[in-house]
Amino acid sequence: MSLIKLRGLEKTYQQGKIAVPALRGIDLEVESGEFTTIFGPSGSGKTTLLNMIGCLDKSTAGEIIFDEHSINDLNSKELAEVRRYNLGFIFQSYNLIPVLTAFENVEFAIRLIEKHSKKERRERVMSLLEEVGLGEMADRRPNELSGGQKQRVAIARALIKEPKLVLADEPTANLDSETSKEVLELMEEMNSELNTTFIFSTHDPQVMDYARRLIEIKDGKITNDQRRD
Amino acid sequence: MFFLKMAFKNLTRHKRRTLITALIIAFAILIYIMTEGLMIGMTEMSFNNIINLESGHLQVAKKSYWEDRKELPLDNLISPTEELENKIEKTTGFKAMTKRLNFSVRLNNGIDELPVTGVGIDLGQDRKVFRLNKYLVKGRMPREGSSEIIMGTKLAELMGFKNGDYAILLFRTDEDTFNTIDGEIVGLFNTPHPSLNESSVFLPLSTAQSRLNVEDKISHYAIRLTEQDQAIPAAEELNSRLKDPYHAYSWKDAAQSLVTMLEMQEIETQVILAIILTLAAVGIINTVILSALERMEELGMMKALGMHEREIVYTFMLEAAGIGIIGGSMGIIMGVIGLAIFNINGIDMSALTAGGDMTYGFPLKGTIYAGWELNSFIFVFLYGVFISILASVFPALWAARKDPVKAIYHR
Repeated sequence: MSLIKLRGLEKTYQQGKIAVPALRGIDLEVESGEFTTIFGPSGSGKTTLLNMIGCLDKSTAGEIIFDEHSINDLNSKELAEVRRYNLGFIFQSYNLIPVLTAFENVEFAIRLIEKHSKKERRERVMSLLEEVGLGEMADRRPNELSGGQKQRVAIARALIKEPKLVLADEPTANLDSETSKEVLELMEEMNSELNTTFIFSTHDPQVMDYARRLIEIKDGKITNDQRRD
Repeated sequence: MFFLKMAFKNLTRHKRRTLITALIIAFAILIYIMTEGLMIGMTEMSFNNIINLESGHLQVAKKSYWEDRKELPLDNLISPTEELENKIEKTTGFKAMTKRLNFSVRLNNGIDELPVTGVGIDLGQDRKVFRLNKYLVKGRMPREGSSEIIMGTKLAELMGFKNGDYAILLFRTDEDTFNTIDGEIVGLFNTPHPSLNESSVFLPLSTAQSRLNVEDKISHYAIRLTEQDQAIPAAEELNSRLKDPYHAYSWKDAAQSLVTMLEMQEIETQVILAIILTLAAVGIINTVILSALERMEELGMMKALGMHEREIVYTFMLEAAGIGIIGGSMGIIMGVIGLAIFNINGIDMSALTAGGDMTYGFPLKGTIYAGWELNSFIFVFLYGVFISILASVFPALWAARKDPVKAIYHR
């Protein structure tokens, strides 16, 4: 079953009087549980595409169907609801809240969906932090964690609410190759264990090695889409 | 609770900035508390001076006299009767009453002449209602039936009199003829009521009545009650028993112009508070905007996670409330310390008025001590917090409405 369907998706930015096309008719389907990489050179439209799929930005033309529901006509509040319950995000620069501990940063995401008791919440956060290898560091603030550890916290934060889809924009761009490998292995492990769909953008060949589906994008168009076993 | 905890932690990001913003609120509150304290102190002292030296708690006079009382007329005086005095004595909280006769006098030292108020006082009863005798700094009170007078040191100084001198009191009698009293100054007083010191001469009631040819008539009865707060209901109660033309007036009626002036002062204090807190609000707005700009990527993340605009606004408002609470608490503590210092040392009005008795219209002089009201503290604290929250709404909305993509990739 397709989790995401994109039909003729277009996005054009207006810079003064000049229209700059970022996406030019994207057609794409992503199944549940896929571990997909979108790659391409800088400015090819990777991030724009992720933002469209992540309900962060609106398309100029075309249709986005998420979990069999069109999201084209949703207002900003309804889009926030979709993100709140269905999507997890991992950012290049982690975007952790510096005044909160690793535990609280993860807890923050689950707080928004308000369906767990305090005890249940605590157990879930701790269990996930242990799974990402940070059980001992739950009380540390981001400035007391390495880049890799920060990204692990961000992964735990993205997964804590059991989203249908996790979007990661260049998740390893700020990490060294060894740490990148660890983070990617963790993401792959979570994908297998939880069957959560992952889509991440990159231009790092090492990252692409981990993906089971590779989508190449150039000048706002998909130029190659291949699955690997 | 989580948002509250996060807001509190956010306040610790830039402790110095938080502290400076809170200090602006604290100073606004300090200024308000000190101004309010001074006002309460001046009000209490002024009212006490009026009650203790000028009006008592209640006055009973004829309505027609009361309307013209500032002109010190000899018309519409009261002829005391036992029936009237019995009615007065039955007033709830009644403690004592005395008779007074006020009249217009020209005080003459042989060279200069000054218009003053002559006050005939019932020497046996007056001290039970008024405190004039406590402020005698030289000499004694006049003797009954004599031509002895007392006056304020300020007036004596102005006219070149000293204790033991004779002063000529020139006045019109009830028949509109001139008469004089060659009054021996037997006492000088220095009360905290400047206009009394500068423009009143006291003499025995019987002497005043005989020289003015008004028989046993008086201007009014002055009454002391056991409690100051009883004055207004007591006046109402007494009025229900008094028949026209008699009427009872509370000390507030007697001090109407002062009450009005104090009400205006109260409005001024509120305006000062509003202005200062508006300035503090600018500080809060600045802090919230800076804070939002610094945390733009975090805000983007929050929006990506599905946080609604109102939740983001709520977070900023909680932070602003935190600043308001910190500033408010600091302001209250500073205010309490300020008031304590104020109350230990007092403020010497003569220092403020270059040694003079100019008191900006207030019937007081000497050292003023601050007063305080718990309600004022609560009001100003809550007002400070409210202004902080209010000031944060628009910058918080501005931050919350940022496009999530622009916020995430904000540099």
